[in-house]
Amino acid sequence: MLDAFSKAVVSADAKGAPIGSHELADLRKYVNDANKRIDATLAITQNVSCITSDAIAGMVCENTGMTQPGGNCYPTRRMAACLRDGEIILRYISYALLAGDSSVLDDRCLNGLKETYLALGVPLSSAKRAVEIMKVATVAIMTETNTGRKMFEGINSGSGAQCQDIAAEAASYFDRVISALS
Amino acid sequence: MKSAVTTVIAAADAAGRFPSVSDFESVKGSFDRAPARMEAAEKLASCIDKFTAEAVDAIYGDGKYEQTNKDKCLRDIHHYLRLINYCLVTGGTGPLDEWGISGMREVIRVQLLPTAAYIEAFAFIRDKCNISEYMGQQATAEFKTLLDYLINALA
Repeated sequence: MLDAFSKAVVSADAKGAPIGSHELADLRKYVNDANKRIDATLAITQNVSCITSDAIAGMVCENTGMTQPGGNCYPTRRMAACLRDGEIILRYISYALLAGDSSVLDDRCLNGLKETYLALGVPLSSAKRAVEIMKVATVAIMTETNTGRKMFEGINSGSGAQCQDIAAEAASYFDRVISALS
Repeated sequence: MKSAVTTVIAAADAAGRFPSVSDFESVKGSFDRAPARMEAAEKLASCIDKFTAEAVDAIYGDGKYEQTNKDKCLRDIHHYLRLINYCLVTGGTGPLDEWGISGMREVIRVQLLPTAAYIEAFAFIRDKCNISEYMGQQATAEFKTLLDYLINALA
C-alpha cells in the first residue's frame, strides 16, 4: 500500500536518486491541502449509511424487478449483501482519498472484484450504477452542493467549497471502481 | 511501504472500519511535522555527495581501514543516505527497514567490508558535518534521529 509520500519514494528509488526540491513541491501541496483532505474524508465517514443505502435504493428504484422473486436483490439476504458491498467499496475509497493514492483501493478492493461478481452472478451494470450514484452523492456532500441541509462537520477548513479539488480526486476513485467493473 | 498514513489505514482496514477521528488526528500530527522533514530531505538531497565524501575521507584518511574498500564504502554510504532521504519524506522508517536494514549485515559481511567503518562514517556525519549549518533545528533533529536509528541497526 502506498500514499502520496511513499509513491514519490518508490519512483525515486527506481531512478536511484534522492528526492529533491522538484518532487517535494508536489508533496508540499499535499501537506498544505491536508486539512481539506481530512475534511473531504470526513464528508464520507459521517454519511456512510446515507450514501450507500441511497445508492442501492436508487439502483433498485430504476430497476424494480430486482427485488421481485427471481431478481438479483431477492430475497433480503442478497439485498443486504449489496448494501454491505457498497459500504466496503466506499470504505476503500475513503482510504485512497486519505492516502492521496489509489493503490490501497486497487490492491485490496478492485483486484479480482469483477471476476468475483461474475462468478456470483452479480449484474455488473447494476453494481456500476450503484457506484455512480454513490459518486454523485459523495461529491455533492463534500462540496456542500447537495439540496437541503449541510451534511458534514469538518474539523479543519470548514467550508465544503474548499473541497472542490479533493472532490474531483474522490470522483476519480469512484470512476476507477466503475472502470474496474467494466 | 510503511508511512504515517499507510500505518493508520492498514490498522483501520484490519478492523474493517472507516478512518476514525483518532486516525485523522494521528495523520494530522504527521502532517504537522512534515515541513521540517521535507526541509531535511531537501537539504540532504543537495548535500548528499558532500556528506558522503567528507565522512569517507575522514574514516579512510588515517589508514585504519583497507583503502581498497573505500569505493564500496562510498557507494554504500551514499545509498544509505538516500534511504534516509526517503524516510524523511515518508515520515516513517519503512524505506530503511525494507530496503536497507533487512539482510544488510549478511550483505556487508559477504563482501568482507568492515561494519565498524560504516558506523564511524554515520557517526561522523551526525557529529562532525555541521548539519545544523545546512538546515533548521527541527530538520536537523529529524535527520539525526534517523542516523541514530541506522547506527543502532548496524551495531
